[in-house]
Amino acid sequence: MKLEGRVAIVTGGSRGIGRAIVCALAREGAKVAFAYHSNQQAADELVEELKKEGREVVGYQCDVKQKNAAEKVVETVLEKWEKIDILVNNAGVIRDTLLATMSEEHWNEVIATNLNGVFNFCQAVTRPMMSQRYGRMINVSSVAADFGNPGQANYAASKGGVDGFTRCVATELAKRNITVNAVAPGFIETDMTIAVRSAAGDQIVKHIPARRLGKPEDVAHAVVFLATEEAAYITGQVLRVDGGLTLGGF
Amino acid sequence: MPTEKEIYDKVREILVDALGADESECTMDATLMGDLGAESIDFLDIVFRLEKAFNVKIPRGELFPDNFAAADPTLTKNGALTEAGIAELRKRLPHADVDKFAKDPKVENIQDLFTVGMIVKFMETKLSGT
Repeated sequence: MKLEGRVAIVTGGSRGIGRAIVCALAREGAKVAFAYHSNQQAADELVEELKKEGREVVGYQCDVKQKNAAEKVVETVLEKWEKIDILVNNAGVIRDTLLATMSEEHWNEVIATNLNGVFNFCQAVTRPMMSQRYGRMINVSSVAADFGNPGQANYAASKGGVDGFTRCVATELAKRNITVNAVAPGFIETDMTIAVRSAAGDQIVKHIPARRLGKPEDVAHAVVFLATEEAAYITGQVLRVDGGLTLGGF
Repeated sequence: MPTEKEIYDKVREILVDALGADESECTMDATLMGDLGAESIDFLDIVFRLEKAFNVKIPRGELFPDNFAAADPTLTKNGALTEAGIAELRKRLPHADVDKFAKDPKVENIQDLFTVGMIVKFMETKLSGT
């Protein structure tokens, strides 16, 4: 059990990649608090499932765009479990539209959730992690940050922002044994990619060297690795988990 | 209200903890950056620990002012602080030895103002409530 005794916070933990991350961290022995936006039922089901396995997991409703909401979650976790070792910023949304017709609302919502949410939570856990001279921050980015997909100006900007943020904060906190990394998933089988996948059919898989879509667990395993104590000398990195999608071979 | 010695002892303990410095290195005149190897993350850590040890709140910039010289071009000229700059420094750092700095007011020397003694003086003022 690689994370025995550790305390983790995962945002966007009730579904998709976040759910897989919560499960993976808990099954490695960590106590996990996850933040979810609105799907109370999914959150309750996740807590039930892991409780049956004897894991310690709790869900908190939280809008990651709100700084004080993020601070409240962190404060609550500190009161409950007295420390925070791992933070996984996974909460994210897409609102794909071509730039010419993208509403200000769609732009702002994606930036606020995907980028400001990372800022809010990372800042909130910095002090407790610095005090204990230990921390693992993992931000879920996307390969979209580095590749130009039409319709994703807002999404790519937010994830590119996450990558830059990751590198800067990594240099700031390295001296205190706090690593800050990102994982960049490729095409993963979740609700977020349903629309694109059903429209594109088999076409996507043809472009992936691994010849399959990624599973949420594929991303979760990478997150668990970066969250271990042993990953202490890895920081400021963006690790692509994409089955070779972005290697650019032909 | 703790004595100067009591404050100094606590401050020294914090600096040993935060900077990995030797107790013997943390004399009142020791500079945080030059002598004790502090970097920006360390300043933050020192403020956090002072808040915890003395049970006070230290707002951002009160002990270690943010890069004020960069914001206003009238405060510096050719890499040194102008009269206006020195006056601003005195205002922002009443607990520092600005007279000593004023003898050679190069911007790069500002960091020498941050000494162990400066922190002790700051905490004395802070705790006395003036």
